[in-house]
Amino acid sequence: MIAQALGTGPEAQAAGHSGPVLSLEHISKTYPGTRALVDVSFDLAAGEVHCLVGENGAGKSTLMKILAGVVQPDQGAIVLRGEAHRNLTPRSALQLGVSTIYQESDIVTSLTVADNVFLGQEPVRAVDVVDANQQRRITQAIIEDLGVDLDPDKLGARLSPAQRQLTMIVRALRFSPDVLILDEPTSSLGQAETEHLLSLVRRLAERGIGIIYISHYLDEVLRVGDRITVLKDGQHVATLPAAGATAEGLVHLMVGRDASAFFVKESVPIGEVLMRVEDYSGPGVPEPATFEVRRGEVLGIGGLVGAGRTELLELLFGVRKPRSGTIHLDGRDSRPRSPREAVAAGLSLVTEDRARSGLFPDRTVRENLATAWNELRGAVVRGERTLADGIVDRLGIVTPSIEQEVKRLSGGNQQKVLIGRWLAVDAQVYMFDEPTKGVDIGAKHDIYGFIAELLKAGRAVVIVSSDLPELLSISDRIAIMRHGRIISTVAAAEATEQSLMKEFLGVTGE
Amino acid sequence: MSQASESAPTSSPAAPGSASQRTRRSTILAFVAANQWVLILLLTIGLGIFTGLVNDRFFNPRNIISILEQSSVLGLVAAGATILIISGNFDISVGAIIGLAAVVMAIMVRAGYPEELAMLAGMAVAITCSIVNATLARLFQAPTFIVSLATAGIFTGIALALTEGIIQLVPNNFTFFSSTRLLGGNLPLIFLISLLGYVAVGFLLRFTRMGRRTYAIGDNPRAAFLAGIDVSRTTVLLFAINGILIGVAAIMLISRIGSALPSTGAGLELRAIGAVVIGGVPITGGRGGVVGTFFGVLLLGVISNMLNMLRINPFLQEIAFGGLIVLAIGISWLRTRVGSDR
Repeated sequence: MIAQALGTGPEAQAAGHSGPVLSLEHISKTYPGTRALVDVSFDLAAGEVHCLVGENGAGKSTLMKILAGVVQPDQGAIVLRGEAHRNLTPRSALQLGVSTIYQESDIVTSLTVADNVFLGQEPVRAVDVVDANQQRRITQAIIEDLGVDLDPDKLGARLSPAQRQLTMIVRALRFSPDVLILDEPTSSLGQAETEHLLSLVRRLAERGIGIIYISHYLDEVLRVGDRITVLKDGQHVATLPAAGATAEGLVHLMVGRDASAFFVKESVPIGEVLMRVEDYSGPGVPEPATFEVRRGEVLGIGGLVGAGRTELLELLFGVRKPRSGTIHLDGRDSRPRSPREAVAAGLSLVTEDRARSGLFPDRTVRENLATAWNELRGAVVRGERTLADGIVDRLGIVTPSIEQEVKRLSGGNQQKVLIGRWLAVDAQVYMFDEPTKGVDIGAKHDIYGFIAELLKAGRAVVIVSSDLPELLSISDRIAIMRHGRIISTVAAAEATEQSLMKEFLGVTGE
Repeated sequence: MSQASESAPTSSPAAPGSASQRTRRSTILAFVAANQWVLILLLTIGLGIFTGLVNDRFFNPRNIISILEQSSVLGLVAAGATILIISGNFDISVGAIIGLAAVVMAIMVRAGYPEELAMLAGMAVAITCSIVNATLARLFQAPTFIVSLATAGIFTGIALALTEGIIQLVPNNFTFFSSTRLLGGNLPLIFLISLLGYVAVGFLLRFTRMGRRTYAIGDNPRAAFLAGIDVSRTTVLLFAINGILIGVAAIMLISRIGSALPSTGAGLELRAIGAVVIGGVPITGGRGGVVGTFFGVLLLGVISNMLNMLRINPFLQEIAFGGLIVLAIGISWLRTRVGSDR
């Protein structure tokens, strides 16, 4: 259908052969120091959603990059519609009908949706003038065909994360792919938007497109997938039908441990009130927020994407300038106007976007760990090595040396470095924004462990998480936010996923 | 610089047996890629030997001393530029500031003020102008590159107004620096001062909290802010430190040439940036060190001396300078390919 709208679809799609549309045969890839993939085979039928799961570093990204032609395998063949290819380039992969949508979907914010869809392949009228009408018409046709809500003339900068995702999907479909690869497509989406995306994926599959769906979220995988392939340490562990599979079973295959062990919260005695926030407001938090958190307690903050959760944390940490309010922390009153002042007041914040606002990618693990610690000490730096060695041991950070550049670490280890930076300064209140997003299950487990240690040491923790089971299991109480204000606070033990979601959405009654 | 040389041995796995040959080669390759100054040093030595074979006056101690002496002013400016570039900043007005400081010093001694007071005034001018650059940039959230491009015109204009375009001759003043030779007349004082500048910058970058902040701001300013670093204050302080270095450079320059014009020092900032890049600091900041800058400056000095010795058309010097920067860019491209396959 989409091919018809464009008038450029490959005939092979119409031919409808029965074998797999794509298969990978005995693919191996070695990087200096790591074997990313070892003799992995994989196949995909037309109209199938085949999910790829595994911890970070299991080889999912490498497999995806090989299919997209970004990385060349050392051994093995890629068979597309019966034809074997040794190597693909990004261009030839597209031409052969493989479209890839990366996790960090890149759209150009100064161009419209239609411009982004056609970026690099603009239809040209005379000389070099872009045929904007044709772009818009075709984009509109694909959008209508998909039955989604997106304005082709909307500027990239004005798009929500979900709309950006849609733009990338429309762009991918313009190439009439036989194979569509989606890498963590829901990581920046809220609950309702995720639902839309999953149903869209199903609809695309029904049209005969083979879809490779990579995700950390096992519930999504179980719902959207036909088959699931589990990778572990670069090796193929199992391929099984989604029907009949369980999250626990998958986790077991991914790590060889039981999922139930991960989410049991150690009970820590809850002490006196450590921090009381009174009438706090500022950019992103229009209504004054008031809440308190006790020693040994985890206050979860729940809400949909855009409800003001991150904004509230940033306001408390002085990233945004507060307009009103006071923080009473450990007997002192303050209103920090910069992160520096917030640290002095006893706060810390592990930000959501590691790469953009957390780490110094070109600097060593040692320097990344010691950044905040150094700020509290003398003008001449001393004892960084001892500090870094201690934290690397304590948090189990996997790195060849503390002198390794932090950008070479895996996502989970990078997150541990960021958490380690704040453990080093011994803050009173630890705030985490999506601490386990994009992190493998092993590292997740470790992060829950660090949080438990903080609580035992009498610190208080404030967590924003979009992962409802996580929020429910890790929190003692949950503050629910909507439109930049705290609507209510509930005890986690009495809440369910359904009851929270209703509160998030503002649905009353049953 | 330092951190790279420390990490190079640990990052390569020790492989036994037949692979060890390859591993050793890749270790050396990785070390050279991470320490661009090694290549620059080898190039300098190579050019030196070649020149010495053609014209044996090159190895005359007097000639070597003269190379060091001629590299001294650029060395101070380049040491300062190293700090700024690592922190992700540029000061395009350095040449103009040096011109203004030199003019102020010359006018003061000609008016009968003591040399010491004139030098203090020159330093004050250099530090103030640098702080103005950083403050404007932080105030308007603008890149220091463009702010200093604007102020360069202003500083030169002030110098022109002060001198009314007339050269200020001070042949008998400030001669202490350019005429003093230490160690039995072998070591020019001016070179020693330049060396102290490098050492101070090297110490700052490697061992101090200010150094850590410099790398942090250059690598990821938002992360630095969120880690509790006061980015504005640090930037202003880094420019003030650069002001001290270029203030000293202005004194050395006027001591060497014995006169001052608003255009004294013109173009130094670009040569300094060139030397820093040749030494291996990426133009995007966040990494690198002052050792590379030292050898970058030395290489430029050797090339200029070599072209004299070989009686090659001096216009070629500009071509060689440009060519070297292209080479440095090529090396850093190669480095990203060798260094990070992942």
